[in-house]
Amino acid sequence: MNFFKRAWLNIWAKKGRSILLILVSSAILMFVLAGLLIRSAAVKATETAKNDAGATMTLSANRQAAFKKMSQSSSSSSSKTSRPKLTLTPVKLSDATKIAKLSNIKNYNVTSSTSANAKSYDTVSTTTGMGGNSGGPGGMKSSTSSGDTQIDGVTATSLTTTFSDSQSKITKGRGITASDKNTNNVVIEKELASQNNLTVGDTMTFKETSGDKNTVKVKIVGIYKASSTSSASAGPMSTDPSNTIYASYTLANTIKGSKYAGTADSVTFNVTNPAKVSATKKAGNKLISSKYSLSTDDASYQSVKASMDNVEGFANKIVWLVAIAGTIILALIVILMIRERRFEIGVLLSLGEARWKIVAQFFTEMLMVIVVAIAIAGAGGKFVGNQLGSQLVSQSTTTQTTTSTTSGQPGGGQPGGTKGSGGPGNMQATSTKTKDPNLEIAVSAVDLAELGGFGLAITFLSIMIASGGILRLEPKKVLFS
Amino acid sequence: MLKTQDLGYWYQDKTQPLFQGINLTFESGKSYAILGHSGTGKTTFLSLIAGLDKPKEGDILLGDQSLKQIGLTNYRRHDVAIVFQAYNLFAYMSPMNNLLTAMAITEAKHAGDRAYAKQILNDLGIGDDLIDRNVQHLSGGQQQRVAIARTMCCDARLVVADEPTGNLDEDNTKAVIDQFQRIAHEQNKCVIIVTHEPDVAAQCDHQYRLENKQFTELA
Ligand SMILES: Nc1ncnc2c1ncn2[C@@H]1O[C@H](COP(=O)(O)OP(=O)(O)O)[C@@H](O)[C@H]1O
Ligand SMILES: [Mg+2]
Repeated sequence: MNFFKRAWLNIWAKKGRSILLILVSSAILMFVLAGLLIRSAAVKATETAKNDAGATMTLSANRQAAFKKMSQSSSSSSSKTSRPKLTLTPVKLSDATKIAKLSNIKNYNVTSSTSANAKSYDTVSTTTGMGGNSGGPGGMKSSTSSGDTQIDGVTATSLTTTFSDSQSKITKGRGITASDKNTNNVVIEKELASQNNLTVGDTMTFKETSGDKNTVKVKIVGIYKASSTSSASAGPMSTDPSNTIYASYTLANTIKGSKYAGTADSVTFNVTNPAKVSATKKAGNKLISSKYSLSTDDASYQSVKASMDNVEGFANKIVWLVAIAGTIILALIVILMIRERRFEIGVLLSLGEARWKIVAQFFTEMLMVIVVAIAIAGAGGKFVGNQLGSQLVSQSTTTQTTTSTTSGQPGGGQPGGTKGSGGPGNMQATSTKTKDPNLEIAVSAVDLAELGGFGLAITFLSIMIASGGILRLEPKKVLFS
Repeated sequence: MLKTQDLGYWYQDKTQPLFQGINLTFESGKSYAILGHSGTGKTTFLSLIAGLDKPKEGDILLGDQSLKQIGLTNYRRHDVAIVFQAYNLFAYMSPMNNLLTAMAITEAKHAGDRAYAKQILNDLGIGDDLIDRNVQHLSGGQQQRVAIARTMCCDARLVVADEPTGNLDEDNTKAVIDQFQRIAHEQNKCVIIVTHEPDVAAQCDHQYRLENKQFTELA
C-alpha cells in the first residue's frame, strides 16, 4: 500500500498544514461531540425523570357516575320531596391492594381525610382574620359536619406529594409511616405545636364531630413545617393550614365512624414507569367497578419529558447542522488542497498510478488528521457540552415552569365536597415547579464511538465531494504548463 | 520499438492540425531529438507518445500493440518514463523516497531496493548528504538529476523528456544530456528528447525537426 506511505510522508513533511487541519477538524468534531453529549444526557435525564418526577394514578369515587345516579334518581322519584343526595362511595382498600399488584405500581398511599374539634389545644387562627376557633370554614367544607382541625389520614407522609415535593418538611421527630397503621400517632404543624407548647412525645386530644362525639387522645411523633406557599393557595374557605394534622388513615377512618373501616377517600399509586401510566390505568380499570374511577397525573413527568425532548431535539439539530457544515468546510479545504497539489497528482498519474489510489491517499491523510482530532475533541467536548448543557437546561426549565403553573390550575377547582377527591397534595402537585432536570455530561465510550462514526463519515463525504477534482484532472494540462 | 502510424493531432480546429500523417519509428538503444520553434506542437507530440493524451488521428504502436490496446494507464506505468522541464518531483519527499515511490507505483523489478536507488543517485552525483533531504533543498540541476534517476530506476524501456535542460545552466545541461546518452546506450532504452536548443539536439543519435505539420529528419 504505497499510497499509505505517501500519505504519511506528506502529513509529516507539511507539519504546519497538518496541525492547522487538525485544529479545524477538532473544532468541528468538538461541536458534534457537544451535540451528541447533550443528546445522550437528555435521554438519560428523561430516564431519571421517570423516577424523580414520577407519575401518580389515583383511585377515587367516580364523581361523574355519582352525579348521573343522583340526577336519575331525582327525575324518577320526583314525587319525593327530599333533595337528591350526592353519595360518593368510599374507596375500598381491597380494590387498592388488587391494583397495587399491577406491575407498574411502585407503592401507594391511602388518603382518608376528616376533621375534628380541638379539645386539649387551641387551633391556629389565620392572620387574615378568619377565626380558627369559630367553627372553621363552615358548611361548604365537607359532607360531614366539620371541625376546626383538619385530619389527613395517610399511609405514610413521605408518600404524599406535599412531602415528596418538599412543600412540607418534617422538622422534628418523624413522619407518619406504614407502621403507624392502627395507632393514634400524629404529626402536627410547627406553628400549632409552638402555640400550644407541644413537642414530640406529648399527647393531645380532640373531639369527633359526628356520632358519639368521642374524645380521641393522640400522640405526637413528629412536627412538620408547612411551606408558606401552601397556606397562600389554600383558599379563603379553609382553615389555617397549620391546623392540619397528619395521622394514619386508620385513625381518620375511626374518627369518621365504624362503617368507614377498610375504606379511603382516595388511594394514590406511584408508578414505576410514567411513560406507561395510561396502560396501567387501563389494567386498573378492569379491576374496579364503575362506582370508582382512576385518574392519572403525569404532568410533572410530562413537563420534564417535554423539556428534555426539547433539549434532545436541539442537540440533534446541532449534531446534524455541525456535521453538515463540517463536511462542507472540510470538503472545501480538501478541494483547495487538491488544487494546490495538482502537480503532484499529475506526476502520480504520469507514473501510471490508479486514480482511486490517489483518492485513497487523500482519504488516508485526512483520516490521520481526523483520528488526532477525535482525540482532541473527546478531551475538549465535555467542556463545551457542559457549558451548552447548563445553558439549555436553565432556558428550558424556565419556560416549562411557566406552562405548568398555568396548566395546573384547573385541577384545583374543587373547594367544596370531600377533600378526598384528590387529596390536598395532588392539587398542588401540578402547580408546583418540578425538579430541575440535571444534565449529567460525561463522555462515554458510546459517545466516542459515535463521534468516531461522524468523523469518518465527514472525512469520507468531504473526500468524495472533493475527489471530482482528482478524477477529472488532466495530467497533460498540469504537467506541461 | 515505438511507431507512429499516420499520426495527427489538433486542438479545436480540425482544419488546422498541428501535425498530420506522421509515420516515425523509434528504436531501442538510440536517442532522438525533436527540434522545432516554439508553438509548433513538440510538447503535444510528446504527450501523445507518453500516453498522456489520445491521438486525434492515426495510431501509436509499442511493438505490435497500439497504446489503446495496452491501456494508457498501464502503458504509463510499465512502458514509459517522463522527464519534465519543471522536474516535477514529489516536493514533500527526499530523493530516495521519490525513487522508491516511483518504483512502487510502476511495479519495478527493484521496487523497495534502497541500495539500488542509492547507487543510481550516487552515480548521478546526488551524494549521501542529499539523499534523505527534502528535494526542495536541492538545486535545479540536482533536482533534474533526481528526475533522471527516477526514470532509470524504473523498468520502462522508453524515456521521453520535454525540454529537460530548459532551466539548467551549461554545465548541468551537459551532464544531463550525457546521462540521457548513457540511458540509451548502456541501459538499451529508447530516449526521445524535445528541445529547442540545437546544441542539445546535436548530441543525440537522430534529430527530427517539426515544421509545417511534418517531421523531417536532419542529416
Ligand atoms: N490545451 C490546449 N488547448 C488548446 N490549444 C493548445 C493547448 N495546448 C497547446 N495548445 C496550442 O497548441 C500549439 C502547440 O503547443 P505545444 O505543443 O505546447 O508547442 P511546443 O511545445 O512546440 O511549444 C500552441 O499554439 C499552443 O498554443
Ligand atoms: Mg513545449
